[in-house]
Amino acid sequence: MSIALNVITGFLGSGKTTLLKRLLSDENMGDTALLINEFGDVGIDHLLVEEVAPDTVLLPSGCVCCSIRGELRDALSGLLERRGRGEIPAFRRVILETTGLADPAPILATLNNDPHLRGRFHIGLVVTLVDASHAEMQQRLHPEWLAQVAAADRLLISKTDTVSPEQQQVLRARLHTLNPAPVLDSADIHSGDQLLLGEGLRSAEPAHEVARWQLHRVQSTPARHGDAQVCCLTFERPLDWIGFGVWLSMLLRCHGERILRVKGLLNVNNSQAPIVIHGVQHCLHAPVHLPAWPSDDHTSRLVFILRGLDADQLRRSFTVFSQSLAPMTNGAAA
Amino acid sequence: MCGLCGLLGEDVHWSDPLGDGLPRRRERLSRIVAINKVLAPFRLKVEDFQGVSYLLLGATGKQELATGLDQLWQRAETLIGRALDPLDPALLNQLECGS
Repeated sequence: MSIALNVITGFLGSGKTTLLKRLLSDENMGDTALLINEFGDVGIDHLLVEEVAPDTVLLPSGCVCCSIRGELRDALSGLLERRGRGEIPAFRRVILETTGLADPAPILATLNNDPHLRGRFHIGLVVTLVDASHAEMQQRLHPEWLAQVAAADRLLISKTDTVSPEQQQVLRARLHTLNPAPVLDSADIHSGDQLLLGEGLRSAEPAHEVARWQLHRVQSTPARHGDAQVCCLTFERPLDWIGFGVWLSMLLRCHGERILRVKGLLNVNNSQAPIVIHGVQHCLHAPVHLPAWPSDDHTSRLVFILRGLDADQLRRSFTVFSQSLAPMTNGAAA
Repeated sequence: MCGLCGLLGEDVHWSDPLGDGLPRRRERLSRIVAINKVLAPFRLKVEDFQGVSYLLLGATGKQELATGLDQLWQRAETLIGRALDPLDPALLNQLECGS
């Protein structure tokens, strides 16, 4: 059975290790293996969590996103081997704490593309911590911040005691326009259950996760946050999956690093039930079939979080490709 | 791997057929028709190779073999010497004229 790899990310000093210590103290998290990635020659974070997780594996040689994809693969394979030999207890999930400078996309791509890992591990949830007191500056100065926020399935605001309730409200609203994922206060999280770590699109109830995406509340807004923008495409007619695959694969190949996130609930030709897609930058996960539509509204919805890409151009491209690549019906062919 | 010809199967990709509505080979040919519509303005053509790969043919006789859509776009860019941008207004205008 495939094991969920949950990723905890967030900019430097956003409270990832503090959260991990709290999570790992929860007795229900006992079947969790922990991987910690550190930037710098001497790893310190693993010492901070060692008390609660003695089998922590440290990925010491740099940032997960650029230099140690092979090391991540080796660490995950190593965990399985050690478990097989009985050196570590059986675990049900893995948590990877990234460095504050990591872009989560290549981590997801490693899991998707490595033939050795695919089938043994799948991406569970991406949890991103946002430092309430420095969020604005980090967004302005560090492109990784936006990539981390856009990739999140759960957004946790940390250090809320250092800002006023009004500032917190503004931050929540800003995060919500960047990514419609649930926003929680990190200090309130003491267990994996509160984070719904057991859920996600690969769980037994993917429809619950899709409901949390709040796709029907997302509106394309002309307002930009820095150079980030949300683009929502809706369409009534069932989608031709082949043409859509050609368009989206071409788009992600050319503009993947500018498409921070894509999520969609799609009404596809010849399929009674909706198809869910989601991905981060170049990396799109395998589509998930929902058992049924969540409501009578069968409108397809695709939400993109864009950085430096024009939403109107994207919309036009989608429309033109859909019309040009649609299979000819008997009527059209005549 | 095919035991007769020794060819490896196509890699798993998110854009693979969702169900078993059409035979896999027929789905693949439909996809090649769609790809050819997109590549025609660049004077490129794609043919199926053994049901597992794509054979890209350039106007000057250059050829590239690709496995999977991601590699196909990459090889097509190598043949035309620039990025294949689905947002390019010139490409969109040509597709509109052709549809």
